[in-house]
Amino acid sequence: MKIKIKCFSQVKYAFGKDELKMELEAGTSTSELEKMIRAKAKGKLDDISLRVAVNQKYLPNEIELKDGDEVAFIPPVQGG
Amino acid sequence: MNTFTLKKNMIITPKELQKWINEGNDFTVIDVRPENQRNEFPMDGLDTIMSENGPIPNIEGLKVLVCQFGIVTEGMIIEQNLTDTFSLLGGAQAWNEFQSKMEDLSQWSRQTVLPEIGLDGQKRIMDATIAIIGMGGLGCPVAQALVTAGIGKLILVDGDIVELSNLHRQPLHGIDDVGTKKVQSAEKSLEKINSDTAIEIIDGYLDESNGLDIIQKSDVVIDATDNIKTRQLIDQFSKESNIPMIYGGLFRWEGQVAVLNVNGSPGYSDLFPDSPSGGDTCADAGVLGMLPGIIGNIQALEAIKLIVDIKPNLVGRLLIYDGKSHQTEIIEIG
Repeated sequence: MKIKIKCFSQVKYAFGKDELKMELEAGTSTSELEKMIRAKAKGKLDDISLRVAVNQKYLPNEIELKDGDEVAFIPPVQGG
Repeated sequence: MNTFTLKKNMIITPKELQKWINEGNDFTVIDVRPENQRNEFPMDGLDTIMSENGPIPNIEGLKVLVCQFGIVTEGMIIEQNLTDTFSLLGGAQAWNEFQSKMEDLSQWSRQTVLPEIGLDGQKRIMDATIAIIGMGGLGCPVAQALVTAGIGKLILVDGDIVELSNLHRQPLHGIDDVGTKKVQSAEKSLEKINSDTAIEIIDGYLDESNGLDIIQKSDVVIDATDNIKTRQLIDQFSKESNIPMIYGGLFRWEGQVAVLNVNGSPGYSDLFPDSPSGGDTCADAGVLGMLPGIIGNIQALEAIKLIVDIKPNLVGRLLIYDGKSHQTEIIEIG
């Protein structure tokens, strides 16, 4: 299945892109995807907390992703 | 300079007009509104002559033109190149309010003309108290926007002093303020914008000992801090006192805004639970001054919308703005 990943703040800087497109096995969960993203960032996101939103909604628990889902990884930002 | 710039001396406020009347000055008030509007909103305590849909009659001496909100008449003075003629700021709406309450709201006529604001909304703004935690990159534009809108009272909380490297993003502080307290420098600049706003300054940081007291005195608390620990404290006291919190945060080109803890709506702990670790501060990560300007103004806008009760708003939603692409993402928090 095809998934679009929207990157925000440090995630954007980790990959140098606003968006990633990934081909995943059916049944992949949000937390599995998060592990993949952290691995792909090669340490750049190790100290960063991430919240996951799917299709513009925060999720209380992990879910299985569906084809065409848009997943956002959102770090807290400190500056002010 | 364009030719449509209105000269200051072509504008008269309700208070100034009342003074003319009291002093027995000789002038003519011309009501240019259509008959239905004149009948619906008659002008209290003012003798006027009517001039609907036509050129302004050629009358000797000073003239004051009146329309409903004071916008049409300013245009007429420019278009017809009228001399010795004034436009009543805020029009019949501001005049009648001044007559009934002796309160001159004409300064805010361009926002009271908005149907969602009106005079009632302006009064709510003028009765409201807002605490701003942090007087840096976000706090400066928030305070500036709220004072400009006529907010009743601000409580400014910050223990920092102004540094040279702050100036590019903190427009209430100038070069001569370097080395002085941020709250004092901000207060001085804000008083120049609108001396009617009461300003309380707290030269220190929000902490466990003072947080609840500061937030309880406010109708809304603005999070303009640069660290997650203080955000969590604001969130805790905001929940305890049921006072809404407007969160703002920045990372380089990106900003976040959310309206939290409105009658049990999600808070910062729902947005980023546990003890999140985040990116660097603006000082470490770098930022252009316009970004806190934009994000701070969105926080101030949301504060006004909460006070006046204008929807839709960002209650329970996280807005993420990207200053490069100008893309905005809105995420439902839950």
